[in-house]
Amino acid sequence: MPNEMILMLHASFGVLAILASVWVFAETLTNSVASQGRIRWVSLAGAALMWLSYLIGGYWYVVYYGADKALIKEGPWPFAHSFFMEAKEHIFFSLLLLSTYLPMVALRLAPERPQVRGLVLWLSGWIVLLGLAMEGAGALIAMGVKVALLAKGAMGG
Amino acid sequence: MKETGVDSKTAAFGLALAITSLLSAILVVIKELNQDTVLALMKSATGHHWVSHGIFVLIVFLVLGWVLARGEVGSRLSGNALSAIISASIVLSALIIAGFFI
Repeated sequence: MPNEMILMLHASFGVLAILASVWVFAETLTNSVASQGRIRWVSLAGAALMWLSYLIGGYWYVVYYGADKALIKEGPWPFAHSFFMEAKEHIFFSLLLLSTYLPMVALRLAPERPQVRGLVLWLSGWIVLLGLAMEGAGALIAMGVKVALLAKGAMGG
Repeated sequence: MKETGVDSKTAAFGLALAITSLLSAILVVIKELNQDTVLALMKSATGHHWVSHGIFVLIVFLVLGWVLARGEVGSRLSGNALSAIISASIVLSALIIAGFFI
């Protein structure tokens, strides 16, 4: 499989995990008996998708990112690595823990437990916010590679 | 006792999440400031410091959650308090990491 496809799978699973958390957040707002089964299954699916994104992205990062990193650091946007990649690769751990924890809490959902509902809303909300931040950082890192290649091309490299 | 709906296991792993997230952020600062020792050790452990970091985070989360659940440490925490602790930890750990690399 080409490297680029591995990277696209990482981003795609991340987007699907974010969408699953949006679903969990929206259904938890109503928190009816009918919606609780769906909330549990979708939160589990979200965790599985986030783990897939982590494992695939981690594989790509460890095996292939070195060449991109060298390009970015020599290019016009070195901050795409020094800030965005460094922050992304480490803040991602909090996102992974949140995604893993959410299904555990969703299992406790019941109409008579309003504070569990609040906790599910906070957790899924944080997953959406951090997930979007990760996607944005990923786009900036990709742009860092692109501007580095363009600058290299302009110099005849 | 008032029913909060958050059992001791749920509270324990919520607290473990908050503590692990902060410890992970602190480890980032420590390993980056001690590249010849801590970062080198993390690289030699698995071949890549980030892989070692991930394994550290997962082990701390699981062990801490298990220990806190056994001790029923979070049994008196309300769901709202747990939400606040987790949210504060997420914000603080993100600020530590982003602030360090800025």
